[in-house]
Amino acid sequence: MGAGTLDSTSPLLHSQIHEPDGGSVLRPVLALHGFASSAEMNWASTGWIGALTGAGRRVITVDLPGHGLSGSPEEREHYRPSRIRKAILELLDESGVTPLVDADPASGVDVIGYSLGSRLAWEFGAAAPQLVHRMVLGGPGAGDPLADFDLEGARKFLSEGTPVPDPVSADLLKMAQIVPSNNLEALFTLIEAIKEEPFRPAESVPSMPLLLVAGDQDELAVSAPQLAELNGKADLLLLPGRRHANAVTSRAFKTAALEFLGG
Amino acid sequence: MAEISFPLPDLGEGLIEATVLEWLVAPGDQVERNQPLVEVETSKSAVELPSPQAGVVARVYGEAGEKINVGEPLVVFEVPDDTAGIVGTVPQEAPARRRVRLSAVLDED
Repeated sequence: MGAGTLDSTSPLLHSQIHEPDGGSVLRPVLALHGFASSAEMNWASTGWIGALTGAGRRVITVDLPGHGLSGSPEEREHYRPSRIRKAILELLDESGVTPLVDADPASGVDVIGYSLGSRLAWEFGAAAPQLVHRMVLGGPGAGDPLADFDLEGARKFLSEGTPVPDPVSADLLKMAQIVPSNNLEALFTLIEAIKEEPFRPAESVPSMPLLLVAGDQDELAVSAPQLAELNGKADLLLLPGRRHANAVTSRAFKTAALEFLGG
Repeated sequence: MAEISFPLPDLGEGLIEATVLEWLVAPGDQVERNQPLVEVETSKSAVELPSPQAGVVARVYGEAGEKINVGEPLVVFEVPDDTAGIVGTVPQEAPARRRVRLSAVLDED
């Protein structure tokens, strides 16, 4: 763990800055967690923050709306991916992130995302090429399992106990339910907002170098090669024996990410 | 040398077991406090467990894919005799001792 953390809450996103011992002369790393997870679950308890700060990187984590320490507003508009990306841009500005300058290793920001966080990173990188140096996208896919989520089926399961027919929706719901602190209504509102703004990776493609990482048994990431093709200069790393839920701790993942971001 | 056993800690939220994903250390390795020891997966999430102390790894329990119950041995460390506490407890770090000079005395030291 780094020498210190600094909390801040913008109206939408709770964020923390994790400083390495001795400070940092390198650009910070923004970490975006996945659906039904949190900065704590996705990045802290998995050892990522320790690995990144240990490599001298300052880490900016955020909790997405309805997740972790962020609030759970009722209105759907707060959960729109476009609204979240705007809040991230404001947050980076407040955190002192400056536009990329070729000769300055402290300028700009690197981004690492997992799952839904990778989708947001993809779009953010495409929209803010002046800020984003490199991105590591974990558990990424060209599809959008949240836009395809069977909300009606999930609500019926919760009220009447009838099984959710779509297996991917059933898995996502189970994932959301297993963390007692999760606010299911907020997560459903996020899903509604995502249905209105589904992931269409070909419509805005980030141009910076990408590292795509997924478990070789990750069914949500089988379409990761399509993302690599769209970007044109992405590396794709598959982790043997790992699934969507357990690839995130992988040492091979961390080592590859640190090496890629250090390059 | 003495041995200290470190059981699988309580992972919170009523979880009673975890599956070993990958060991990050092997018997014979010298580890530092907070160094990542092992990745485990619970029904909730995957986590990386940091070492509670410095020492040499004597044994590890559970191959990748095996389940371990909370409270069962996970790893055994070999430590110098004088640092071993009661088995199962983590030795306290020595309190920081620092001399504070209350007034400047130029001829001291």
